[in-house]
Amino acid sequence: MAKISGSDVTRLIIACEAGMGSSVMVAGQVRKALKGTNVHVSHSPVNLLKDENPDVVLCQRGLSGRAKQAVPGVPVIAFDMFLGDPAITKLIEDVKNGAEISDE
Amino acid sequence: MSNIIAGDANATGWRSAMQKFGGFLAGMVIPNIGAFIAWGLLTALFIPTGWLPNEELSKMVGPMIVNLLPILIAYTGGRMVHGQRGAVIGAVTAVGVIVGSTIPMFLGAMIVGPLSAWLLKQVDKVLDPITPPGFEMLIGNFSLGILGLGTAMGSFAGVGPLVTWVSDRLGEFVSSLVSTGLLPLASLVIEPAKVLFLNNAINHGVLAPLGVQQATETGKSILFMLESNPGPGLGILVAFWLFGPKVLRGSAPGAIIIHFLGGIHEIYFPYILMRPVMIVAAIAGGMTGVATFMLLGVGLVATPSPGSIFAYIAMTPPSDIFTMFAGVLLSAAVSFFVGMLLLRLSKAGYDDLEEAKAASKKLKKG
Repeated sequence: MAKISGSDVTRLIIACEAGMGSSVMVAGQVRKALKGTNVHVSHSPVNLLKDENPDVVLCQRGLSGRAKQAVPGVPVIAFDMFLGDPAITKLIEDVKNGAEISDE
Repeated sequence: MSNIIAGDANATGWRSAMQKFGGFLAGMVIPNIGAFIAWGLLTALFIPTGWLPNEELSKMVGPMIVNLLPILIAYTGGRMVHGQRGAVIGAVTAVGVIVGSTIPMFLGAMIVGPLSAWLLKQVDKVLDPITPPGFEMLIGNFSLGILGLGTAMGSFAGVGPLVTWVSDRLGEFVSSLVSTGLLPLASLVIEPAKVLFLNNAINHGVLAPLGVQQATETGKSILFMLESNPGPGLGILVAFWLFGPKVLRGSAPGAIIIHFLGGIHEIYFPYILMRPVMIVAAIAGGMTGVATFMLLGVGLVATPSPGSIFAYIAMTPPSDIFTMFAGVLLSAAVSFFVGMLLLRLSKAGYDDLEEAKAASKKLKKG
């Protein structure tokens, strides 16, 4: 039930199991979409999320439970599809527009 | 089946627990995949049955697999538990299991690396508060050195022989699955588990260590191919592209490239999670692939990671190239046909992503 205003987001971290495959791919897309903003977009294995000190976490729905456990209090946005998921598009818009981001 | 497939995203569920444990095992292996690939290429090129047999250069094959790779795994495992100090004692301890056994000690390294680091963590907890100022380095170095001596000796005498015994039994079990022709049944477990994001846990945590042992004995192993075969995912994505719900069709071609060429299998899991019945197509394709590889005696020299067709080509011995393609393409064809039938039969499905998501959420809750 964590939330943050899009304008306060400086570190957006995408998580996956190994932190080397799918998260890197999604991070590439998100970084491109957020080019020109001062948001740092990076990727991480889900169990090391804490070290990345994220403001918002983005990950596949199957891992969102573990992501929440790894960084309690940080909004965890879950998506289903790795390509063209509306949840990812919405998060990018919310960050750009400074809208409120909440994980439920 | 649907509630098994959909699982739940709850952090306390069995699925998270397995992901966590498997992720821990895989976390020791995955950062070192580059070293595995160097070793795999070295093997594929220079061993007597390789592309460019070379006796001098192939001398590196043995030391890398026996010494370097287990030490790297134990080092990484130790670091996960107790930072740099944990990494160092993990590497020291790994030498104990390596020398104390006759086979490549991947399972042993996965045990003693984190375990020795955990022991050092406990010792540090006691010593840190009572270390007088100025003695930190002296005490830190000697506590690690002395404990490392002990853990290396313990691994040499106890863990090495024990893990050799366990590995031998597991190896025998796998060869009995091959000789009785039951190995394709492994897909019944592997494919559903994969889609639940247990793919790394299964491949790098379980199959790869067993495969490496087999590969050092026979030069190649089918175990590397059980989870990593990109064929079934390809068939499923093509089925979704041509016969899937309209809203999923658009993203499928991109997903096909990322999956089959880029080797990121995760990309097709959500398609199956939205249509859980499609797991049947994945299983059918997986079994076809394993059966083909088994009957034609195909194996890879090292673990292909990521599971891209390019990694497959690089890790296939010259004699197996055509049979490898046969297995990959047959598995893709079978999962495509089964997938097509299933998508056709459930035509009344969702044509809208939001609808599909609502349904998938409902499944997860239920």
